[in-house]
Amino acid sequence: MATSSPILQQLGCFRSLLRPQPLTQHSNHLGRRALSTVYSAKPEPQPLPANLPEQFLRQLPLRMRPDLERKARKIPPPPPAPQCKDPIGAVQEAQLAQLDPTGERMALFDYRRNPRSVKVGDILRVTFKNGDPFSGVCLSIRLRGIDTSFLLRNQLTRVGVEMAVKVFSPNVESVEIVQRTEKRKRRARLYYMRKPKHDMGSVENLVANYLRQKRSIAGKKAGGAAKRR
Amino acid sequence: MIQLKTMLNCIDNSGAAVVECVNVLKKKRPATVGDRIVVVVQKQRNFGPDSTNNVGIANKVRRGDIRHAVVVRARKEMQRPDGSIVKFDDNACVLVNKSGDPIGTRMNGVVATELRGRQWSKILSLAPMHV
Repeated sequence: MATSSPILQQLGCFRSLLRPQPLTQHSNHLGRRALSTVYSAKPEPQPLPANLPEQFLRQLPLRMRPDLERKARKIPPPPPAPQCKDPIGAVQEAQLAQLDPTGERMALFDYRRNPRSVKVGDILRVTFKNGDPFSGVCLSIRLRGIDTSFLLRNQLTRVGVEMAVKVFSPNVESVEIVQRTEKRKRRARLYYMRKPKHDMGSVENLVANYLRQKRSIAGKKAGGAAKRR
Repeated sequence: MIQLKTMLNCIDNSGAAVVECVNVLKKKRPATVGDRIVVVVQKQRNFGPDSTNNVGIANKVRRGDIRHAVVVRARKEMQRPDGSIVKFDDNACVLVNKSGDPIGTRMNGVVATELRGRQWSKILSLAPMHV
Protein backbone atom coordinates (compact mmCIF):
# COMPACT_ATOMS: atom_id res chain seq x y z
CA MET A 1 0.00 0.00 0.00
CA ALA A 2 2.77 2.37 0.93
CA THR A 3 4.27 2.05 -2.57
CA SER A 4 1.00 2.25 -4.45
CA SER A 5 -0.42 5.44 -2.93
CA PRO A 6 2.26 7.88 -4.27
CA ILE A 7 1.65 6.43 -7.73
CA LEU A 8 -2.05 7.10 -7.36
CA GLN A 9 -1.27 10.63 -6.24
CA GLN A 10 0.88 11.15 -9.26
CA LEU A 11 -1.91 9.87 -11.43
CA GLY A 12 -4.17 12.41 -9.73
CA CYS A 13 -1.71 15.13 -10.70
CA PHE A 14 -1.84 14.01 -14.30
CA ARG A 15 -5.54 14.22 -14.21
CA SER A 16 -5.46 17.75 -12.90
CA LEU A 17 -3.06 18.74 -15.69
CA LEU A 18 -5.39 17.25 -18.23
CA ARG A 19 -8.28 19.45 -17.05
CA PRO A 20 -9.62 22.08 -19.48
CA GLN A 21 -7.78 25.37 -19.52
CA PRO A 22 -10.33 27.93 -18.29
CA LEU A 23 -10.72 26.15 -14.98
CA THR A 24 -7.03 26.37 -14.21
CA GLN A 25 -7.08 30.06 -14.98
CA HIS A 26 -9.87 30.47 -12.50
CA SER A 27 -7.99 28.54 -9.88
CA ASN A 28 -5.06 30.90 -10.39
CA HIS A 29 -7.34 33.80 -9.75
CA LEU A 30 -8.75 32.15 -6.64
CA GLY A 31 -5.24 31.54 -5.36
CA ARG A 32 -4.77 35.23 -4.82
CA ARG A 33 -7.97 35.79 -2.87
CA ALA A 34 -9.44 33.77 -0.06
CA LEU A 35 -12.62 32.05 -1.02
CA SER A 36 -14.59 33.70 1.68
CA THR A 37 -13.88 37.25 0.56
CA VAL A 38 -14.98 36.75 -3.00
CA TYR A 39 -17.79 39.17 -3.63
CA SER A 40 -20.97 37.72 -4.84
CA ALA A 41 -24.06 39.79 -5.37
CA LYS A 42 -27.14 38.95 -3.37
CA PRO A 43 -29.35 36.76 -5.50
CA GLU A 44 -32.38 38.55 -6.82
CA PRO A 45 -35.54 37.23 -5.23
CA GLN A 46 -37.31 35.19 -7.79
CA PRO A 47 -41.05 35.67 -7.90
CA LEU A 48 -43.05 32.52 -7.57
CA PRO A 49 -44.33 31.18 -10.81
CA ALA A 50 -47.91 32.24 -11.17
CA ASN A 51 -49.39 28.86 -11.85
CA LEU A 52 -47.50 26.61 -9.54
CA PRO A 53 -49.00 23.14 -9.45
CA GLU A 54 -50.70 22.16 -6.24
CA GLN A 55 -48.31 19.29 -5.44
CA PHE A 56 -45.24 21.56 -5.31
CA LEU A 57 -46.67 23.93 -2.79
CA ARG A 58 -45.73 21.78 0.17
CA GLN A 59 -42.05 22.10 -0.76
CA LEU A 60 -42.15 25.81 -0.17
CA PRO A 61 -41.46 27.22 3.30
CA LEU A 62 -44.61 28.01 5.16
CA ARG A 63 -44.30 31.75 4.89
CA MET A 64 -44.12 31.61 1.10
CA ARG A 65 -47.14 29.46 0.43
CA PRO A 66 -49.81 31.48 -1.29
CA ASP A 67 -52.62 29.17 -0.30
CA LEU A 68 -51.99 29.45 3.46
CA GLU A 69 -54.18 32.19 4.78
CA ARG A 70 -52.72 34.45 7.46
CA LYS A 71 -54.13 33.98 10.92
CA ALA A 72 -55.71 37.17 12.16
CA ARG A 73 -53.93 38.23 15.35
CA LYS A 74 -56.26 38.39 18.29
CA ILE A 75 -56.27 41.82 19.90
CA PRO A 76 -58.00 41.87 23.24
CA PRO A 77 -60.29 44.81 23.85
CA PRO A 78 -58.82 47.53 26.09
CA PRO A 79 -59.61 47.09 29.78
CA PRO A 80 -62.59 49.05 30.98
CA ALA A 81 -61.75 52.44 32.46
CA PRO A 82 -61.32 52.24 36.25
CA GLN A 83 -64.50 53.09 38.04
CA CYS A 84 -62.53 54.67 40.89
CA LYS A 85 -59.48 56.84 40.27
CA ASP A 86 -57.92 56.20 43.69
CA PRO A 87 -59.16 52.92 45.16
CA ILE A 88 -56.77 52.97 48.13
CA GLY A 89 -57.84 56.46 49.03
CA ALA A 90 -61.48 55.41 48.78
CA VAL A 91 -60.90 52.47 51.13
CA GLN A 92 -59.08 54.70 53.58
CA GLU A 93 -61.87 57.20 53.55
CA ALA A 94 -64.43 54.50 54.13
CA GLN A 95 -62.40 53.24 57.08
CA LEU A 96 -62.01 56.73 58.47
CA ALA A 97 -65.73 57.30 58.20
CA GLN A 98 -66.26 54.15 60.23
CA LEU A 99 -63.55 54.63 62.85
CA ASP A 100 -63.70 58.40 63.23
CA PRO A 101 -67.16 59.53 62.13
CA THR A 102 -66.95 62.97 63.74
CA GLY A 103 -63.43 63.69 62.50
CA GLU A 104 -62.51 64.66 66.04
CA ARG A 105 -59.55 62.32 66.35
CA MET A 106 -58.16 63.41 63.01
CA ALA A 107 -58.41 67.06 64.04
CA LEU A 108 -56.63 66.29 67.29
CA PHE A 109 -53.54 65.07 65.46
CA ASP A 110 -53.58 66.91 62.15
CA TYR A 111 -50.93 69.45 63.11
CA ARG A 112 -50.61 70.69 59.55
CA ARG A 113 -54.17 72.03 59.42
CA ASN A 114 -55.44 72.39 62.93
CA PRO A 115 -53.54 74.92 65.08
CA ARG A 116 -55.06 73.49 68.26
CA SER A 117 -53.93 69.95 67.59
CA VAL A 118 -51.42 67.89 69.48
CA LYS A 119 -47.84 69.02 68.81
CA VAL A 120 -44.60 67.18 69.32
CA GLY A 121 -43.31 67.81 72.81
CA ASP A 122 -46.77 67.71 74.35
CA ILE A 123 -47.40 65.28 77.16
CA LEU A 124 -50.20 62.90 76.29
CA ARG A 125 -52.12 60.24 78.11
CA VAL A 126 -53.71 57.40 76.19
CA THR A 127 -56.27 55.07 77.69
CA PHE A 128 -56.88 51.77 76.01
CA LYS A 129 -59.96 49.61 75.91
CA ASN A 130 -58.33 47.03 78.14
CA GLY A 131 -57.90 49.63 80.86
CA ASP A 132 -54.17 50.29 81.24
CA PRO A 133 -53.25 53.82 80.32
CA PHE A 134 -49.94 54.97 78.92
CA SER A 135 -48.59 58.47 79.12
CA GLY A 136 -45.50 60.14 77.78
CA VAL A 137 -43.94 62.90 75.76
CA CYS A 138 -45.00 62.91 72.14
CA LEU A 139 -41.83 62.50 70.10
CA SER A 140 -43.38 62.33 66.66
CA ILE A 141 -46.69 62.37 64.86
CA ARG A 142 -46.86 60.32 61.71
CA LEU A 143 -49.68 61.56 59.50
CA ARG A 144 -50.60 58.76 57.10
CA GLY A 145 -54.35 58.79 56.73
CA ILE A 146 -55.82 55.78 58.48
CA ASP A 147 -52.34 54.68 59.60
CA THR A 148 -51.71 57.90 61.50
CA SER A 149 -49.78 57.19 64.67
CA PHE A 150 -47.87 59.00 67.38
CA LEU A 151 -44.86 58.02 69.43
CA LEU A 152 -44.86 58.45 73.20
CA ARG A 153 -41.84 58.20 75.45
CA ASN A 154 -41.76 57.87 79.18
CA GLN A 155 -39.59 56.47 81.90
CA LEU A 156 -41.13 53.76 84.04
CA THR A 157 -39.07 52.52 86.98
CA ARG A 158 -36.16 54.45 85.48
CA VAL A 159 -36.28 52.52 82.24
CA GLY A 160 -37.13 54.37 79.07
CA VAL A 161 -40.23 53.00 77.36
CA GLU A 162 -41.52 54.05 73.99
CA MET A 163 -44.87 53.26 72.52
CA ALA A 164 -46.15 54.07 69.06
CA VAL A 165 -49.93 54.13 69.01
CA LYS A 166 -52.23 54.14 66.02
CA VAL A 167 -54.59 57.08 66.36
CA PHE A 168 -57.60 55.32 64.85
CA SER A 169 -57.05 51.99 66.56
CA PRO A 170 -60.34 50.78 68.03
CA ASN A 171 -58.34 49.82 71.11
CA VAL A 172 -57.63 53.48 71.87
CA GLU A 173 -60.41 54.81 74.01
CA SER A 174 -59.22 58.36 74.57
CA VAL A 175 -56.21 60.61 74.09
CA GLU A 176 -55.81 63.50 76.51
CA ILE A 177 -53.35 66.36 76.41
CA VAL A 178 -51.87 66.56 79.88
CA GLN A 179 -49.57 69.47 79.21
CA ARG A 180 -48.76 71.39 76.08
CA THR A 181 -45.19 72.22 75.27
CA GLU A 182 -44.32 75.76 76.40
CA LYS A 183 -42.30 76.58 73.35
CA ARG A 184 -42.92 75.38 69.85
CA LYS A 185 -40.37 72.69 69.04
CA ARG A 186 -38.27 73.42 66.00
CA ARG A 187 -38.12 69.79 64.96
CA ALA A 188 -40.89 67.56 63.66
CA ARG A 189 -39.41 64.47 65.35
CA LEU A 190 -37.81 64.82 68.74
CA TYR A 191 -35.64 61.73 68.59
CA TYR A 192 -32.87 63.65 70.30
CA MET A 193 -34.91 63.25 73.47
CA ARG A 194 -33.74 59.65 73.65
CA LYS A 195 -30.27 60.85 74.51
CA PRO A 196 -29.58 61.14 78.22
CA LYS A 197 -28.67 64.81 77.83
CA HIS A 198 -32.11 65.75 76.53
CA ASP A 199 -34.21 63.05 78.15
CA MET A 200 -37.21 64.42 79.94
CA GLY A 201 -37.31 61.58 82.45
CA SER A 202 -40.54 60.38 83.93
CA VAL A 203 -43.72 62.34 83.30
CA GLU A 204 -45.69 60.29 85.80
CA ASN A 205 -45.77 63.16 88.34
CA LEU A 206 -47.18 65.60 85.82
CA VAL A 207 -49.81 63.10 84.77
CA ALA A 208 -50.75 62.36 88.38
CA ASN A 209 -51.15 66.12 89.02
CA TYR A 210 -53.29 66.47 85.95
CA LEU A 211 -55.49 63.58 86.96
CA ARG A 212 -55.93 65.03 90.45
CA GLN A 213 -56.96 68.39 89.03
CA LYS A 214 -59.29 66.76 86.59
CA ARG A 215 -60.89 64.75 89.32
CA SER A 216 -61.35 67.79 91.55
CA ILE A 217 -62.98 69.76 88.70
CA ALA A 218 -65.25 66.85 87.90
CA GLY A 219 -66.08 66.49 91.61
CA LYS A 220 -66.98 70.21 91.87
CA LYS A 221 -69.21 69.98 88.87
CA ALA A 222 -70.94 66.93 90.24
CA GLY A 223 -71.24 68.63 93.64
CA GLY A 224 -72.71 71.78 92.05
CA ALA A 225 -75.24 69.75 90.18
CA ALA A 226 -76.20 67.98 93.38
CA LYS A 227 -76.69 71.32 95.25
CA ARG A 228 -78.88 72.71 92.53
CA ARG A 229 -81.10 69.74 92.86
CA MET B 1 -32.64 40.95 69.22
CA ILE B 2 -30.88 38.99 71.92
CA GLN B 3 -28.32 36.55 70.65
CA LEU B 4 -24.92 35.11 71.47
CA LYS B 5 -22.80 37.55 73.52
CA THR B 6 -25.65 39.99 74.21
CA MET B 7 -25.31 41.48 77.69
CA LEU B 8 -28.56 41.82 79.59
CA ASN B 9 -29.55 43.36 82.87
CA CYS B 10 -30.93 40.93 85.37
CA ILE B 11 -33.80 42.57 87.19
CA ASP B 12 -34.61 40.04 89.89
CA ASN B 13 -33.06 39.53 93.30
CA SER B 14 -31.33 36.28 92.40
CA GLY B 15 -27.97 37.98 92.86
CA ALA B 16 -27.01 38.45 89.21
CA ALA B 17 -26.69 41.98 87.89
CA VAL B 18 -25.40 41.56 84.36
CA VAL B 19 -25.64 38.34 82.37
CA GLU B 20 -24.46 37.35 78.93
CA CYS B 21 -26.59 35.38 76.52
CA VAL B 22 -24.93 32.19 75.30
CA ASN B 23 -27.86 30.48 73.62
CA VAL B 24 -31.40 31.11 72.49
CA LEU B 25 -33.68 28.17 73.13
CA LYS B 26 -36.36 26.76 70.82
CA LYS B 27 -35.64 29.33 68.16
CA LYS B 28 -33.22 29.87 65.31
CA ARG B 29 -33.59 33.64 65.52
CA PRO B 30 -32.59 36.32 67.98
CA ALA B 31 -34.65 36.20 71.16
CA THR B 32 -37.21 38.79 72.12
CA VAL B 33 -39.58 39.28 75.05
CA GLY B 34 -40.90 36.00 76.40
CA ASP B 35 -38.15 33.84 74.94
CA ARG B 36 -36.07 31.53 77.04
CA ILE B 37 -32.32 31.87 76.77
CA VAL B 38 -29.22 30.42 78.43
CA VAL B 39 -27.02 32.97 80.16
CA VAL B 40 -23.74 33.24 82.01
CA VAL B 41 -23.70 35.44 85.08
CA GLN B 42 -21.06 38.09 84.45
CA LYS B 43 -21.54 40.44 87.34
CA GLN B 44 -22.96 39.80 90.76
CA ARG B 45 -25.17 42.30 92.45
CA ASN B 46 -23.24 43.87 95.28
CA PHE B 47 -24.78 43.71 98.71
CA GLY B 48 -27.32 46.44 98.45
CA PRO B 49 -30.29 47.25 100.61
CA ASP B 50 -32.08 44.24 99.16
CA SER B 51 -29.61 41.66 100.30
CA THR B 52 -28.98 42.92 103.84
CA ASN B 53 -32.19 41.49 105.22
CA ASN B 54 -31.98 38.16 103.42
CA VAL B 55 -28.43 37.27 102.52
CA GLY B 56 -29.37 33.76 101.46
CA ILE B 57 -31.38 34.95 98.52
CA ALA B 58 -28.69 37.37 97.38
CA ASN B 59 -26.21 34.57 96.89
CA LYS B 60 -28.38 32.28 94.84
CA VAL B 61 -26.17 32.61 91.80
CA ARG B 62 -22.49 33.40 91.44
CA ARG B 63 -20.33 34.85 88.75
CA GLY B 64 -19.74 32.29 86.03
CA ASP B 65 -22.93 30.34 86.68
CA ILE B 66 -24.82 29.09 83.65
CA ARG B 67 -28.56 29.57 84.03
CA HIS B 68 -31.73 29.78 82.07
CA ALA B 69 -33.44 33.14 81.80
CA VAL B 70 -36.52 34.74 80.29
CA VAL B 71 -36.24 37.98 78.38
CA VAL B 72 -38.62 40.57 79.84
CA ARG B 73 -37.51 43.74 78.05
CA ALA B 74 -35.93 44.23 74.67
CA ARG B 75 -34.53 47.20 72.84
CA LYS B 76 -35.88 45.91 69.58
CA GLU B 77 -39.36 47.24 69.03
CA MET B 78 -42.18 44.72 69.01
CA GLN B 79 -45.53 45.13 67.39
CA ARG B 80 -48.78 44.39 69.13
CA PRO B 81 -51.71 42.87 67.29
CA ASP B 82 -53.42 46.30 67.09
CA GLY B 83 -50.41 47.81 65.32
CA SER B 84 -48.95 49.69 68.25
CA ILE B 85 -45.24 49.32 68.86
CA VAL B 86 -43.45 49.03 72.19
CA LYS B 87 -39.77 49.26 72.86
CA PHE B 88 -37.56 49.68 75.86
CA ASP B 89 -34.24 51.37 76.39
CA ASP B 90 -32.45 48.24 77.58
CA ASN B 91 -32.44 44.47 77.38
CA ALA B 92 -33.39 42.76 80.60
CA CYS B 93 -34.11 39.25 81.78
CA VAL B 94 -35.15 37.22 84.79
CA LEU B 95 -33.37 34.03 85.80
CA VAL B 96 -35.46 30.89 85.93
CA ASN B 97 -34.68 27.31 86.84
CA LYS B 98 -34.99 24.37 84.52
CA SER B 99 -38.69 23.94 85.21
CA GLY B 100 -39.44 27.58 84.43
CA ASP B 101 -39.98 29.04 87.90
CA PRO B 102 -38.19 32.31 88.64
CA ILE B 103 -35.12 31.97 90.87
CA GLY B 104 -35.55 35.38 92.46
CA THR B 105 -38.50 36.31 94.60
CA ARG B 106 -38.77 39.96 93.70
CA MET B 107 -38.35 42.00 90.59
CA ASN B 108 -37.60 45.62 90.10
CA GLY B 109 -38.44 47.19 86.82
CA VAL B 110 -41.10 47.36 84.20
CA VAL B 111 -41.67 44.35 81.93
CA ALA B 112 -43.57 43.83 78.71
CA THR B 113 -47.11 42.48 78.75
CA GLU B 114 -46.19 40.02 76.00
CA LEU B 115 -45.09 37.65 78.79
CA ARG B 116 -48.70 36.80 79.48
CA GLY B 117 -49.25 35.29 76.09
CA ARG B 118 -46.14 33.13 76.50
CA GLN B 119 -46.98 31.30 79.74
CA TRP B 120 -44.86 33.57 81.94
CA SER B 121 -47.71 34.95 84.03
CA LYS B 122 -45.76 34.13 87.17
CA ILE B 123 -43.04 36.59 86.18
CA LEU B 124 -45.64 39.13 85.19
CA SER B 125 -47.27 38.94 88.58
CA LEU B 126 -43.91 39.44 90.32
CA ALA B 127 -43.16 42.58 88.32
CA PRO B 128 -44.04 45.93 89.84
CA MET B 129 -45.32 47.27 86.53
CA HIS B 130 -45.97 46.11 83.02
CA VAL B 131 -46.45 47.91 79.72
